Amino acid sequence: METVALIAIAVFLFTYALIIDERIHRAVAAMLGAAIVVFIGIVPWEALLQHVDFGTIFLLLGMMIIVNTARGSGLFEYIAIKTAKLANGSPIRVLILFALVTALVSAFLDNVTTVLLLTPMLLYVARVMKLNPIPFLVTEIFASNIGGAATLIGDPPNIMIASSAGLTFNEFLIHLGPIMAIDMAILIGMMYLIYGRSMKVSPDERKEMVRTLNGLDERAAIVDRALFKKSVAVIAFVVVLFFIHDRIGEILHIVLPFVDPTMGLEPAEVALIGAAILLFWSRQSPEEIFEKIEWPALFFFGGLFVIVGALVETGVIASIASVMVENVSSTGEAMFIVTWFAAIASAIVDNIPLTAAMIPLIHDLGTTMDVYPLWWALALGACLGGNGTAIGASANVVVIGIAEREGIGITFIDFLKVGMLVLFVTVAVGFGMLWMMFVV
Amino acid sequence: MGYSSSLIQRKFKDIVGRRYEAVLKDYSEFLLTDEEMLVPEVRSILMPLDIFVHDITDEAIEVLSAYNATISLAYITDAGVIELLEQALNHASTEEFRAKKEEEGRELLERTAAKLKEHGFSTQTRMFVGHKGDDVVRIAKNHDMVALCRRYADGESTDVSVSPIVLRICQRVETPALIY
Repeated sequence: METVALIAIAVFLFTYALIIDERIHRAVAAMLGAAIVVFIGIVPWEALLQHVDFGTIFLLLGMMIIVNTARGSGLFEYIAIKTAKLANGSPIRVLILFALVTALVSAFLDNVTTVLLLTPMLLYVARVMKLNPIPFLVTEIFASNIGGAATLIGDPPNIMIASSAGLTFNEFLIHLGPIMAIDMAILIGMMYLIYGRSMKVSPDERKEMVRTLNGLDERAAIVDRALFKKSVAVIAFVVVLFFIHDRIGEILHIVLPFVDPTMGLEPAEVALIGAAILLFWSRQSPEEIFEKIEWPALFFFGGLFVIVGALVETGVIASIASVMVENVSSTGEAMFIVTWFAAIASAIVDNIPLTAAMIPLIHDLGTTMDVYPLWWALALGACLGGNGTAIGASANVVVIGIAEREGIGITFIDFLKVGMLVLFVTVAVGFGMLWMMFVV
Repeated sequence: MGYSSSLIQRKFKDIVGRRYEAVLKDYSEFLLTDEEMLVPEVRSILMPLDIFVHDITDEAIEVLSAYNATISLAYITDAGVIELLEQALNHASTEEFRAKKEEEGRELLERTAAKLKEHGFSTQTRMFVGHKGDDVVRIAKNHDMVALCRRYADGESTDVSVSPIVLRICQRVETPALIY
């Protein structure tokens, strides 16, 4: 192997180690790794622009603007209070409703924001019910990862896969939506079996809980009614646009004949259009909103794309792909390997660098086999693999981090026991369904 | 703190930044704190009455019904007024006035006790001549809460302000006070 290839591998592994340990901020680690491969000329400027997936970065950017603008209206607090009240004092209903709401919101908005805003409410409800909050919190984590896996915009691995493979929002919904719906039902059943017994409350406690929660006024959570309505309208518009983004030209051509009927919009364009409309309509200060954008996350992605680009430029990815091609005889076999490798690896390490590294590998496999099913295998494994451990996905870290700050300890081992069970069951079910779609 | 715990906190800090503090601040606007969530144990409630208190509002009854407490109704005739009358009029006239006030007080006590009983409260009644402010503060020490009508010890004014005696009682009592 050439020296440059060895350096590219060393930089990738070194960066990966820094990301796992997180003593240095992940964005800084990724930028440092990128700086090394750029500095020694492994990734020249022209190649750098090719390797950085601006589709992913702009999609994340657009959605961050929409979410941060909408947040100021109290929309998420409103959803949280409404969900808590709907449960009507039943712990099981709290578990199910919060799981469903988390999954639904995570499917369309980013998981971190979703759990960041729902977890304090969930902790409050558990405190009112005088119940151990851990079952509710772990269910929320799993629901967030499963819900996020259902759509193109739900989880960063899906965004990266869609942007690189040119997959549409509806393709994600058709292939992964039903899998995640079934996985959600299985998850709720599993959580009920595991934790159901510990969720009993006396009629008096239930009455007290209903009284306390009914005392909460969800309308009081709306700090800006006009912004609330505009945020809901724009989010709904963006979601509709995602459904039709690949055939927007056809629709626009009917009312605007000069529009090319073959035109389609990239998901990133949809997000940025939505962001522009919301900023214009809401008259929110752009300085304040732009300050809230999670720039470290965007630089983290940018750095990772360059580091993985170094592996592509030096032929490391092509070598791994050729080894795989030699040893894998069918698409079904490749699907099995990709799904389970991505799932187990995502449980141990961050699924974002893993997906970044797997994408060019799957592209290279495309020279010898049909890789279309492999994109779904990768999305399934990378997203659901995050359920395996406490550090498997950002949502896990956020919920467990909040719990620790509130004095509730969810140990690594405790989470691992339930997480691995959920991982294996949900991935196995998902893999089975993909197998039926593409192999049988 | 173990390695996994410190690792999660490092990752949490990097992923969330200062956003969590902002979220908590937003929630604190409308969620009760642990302290606020604790319903204080209230077994007896002192409810002073006088000629200016005509009724107990339904809102007050609703709040009081949250506690399974005995309500002590105390009708107080102002000792200062009796003293003034004794100085200005003869003893017989003063006694006549006093008897009339006691009759009014008894009626009010009976009416109020009946209304409270209708709502499932157990009640005790007492009537005496005393100082409407000082005596309430003194008796309140033996109760877990004081419920004060804002017209108590005031006058027949029609404005919505709270009587100065009620405000003084609130400043001096150590038990929680409810003004209705």
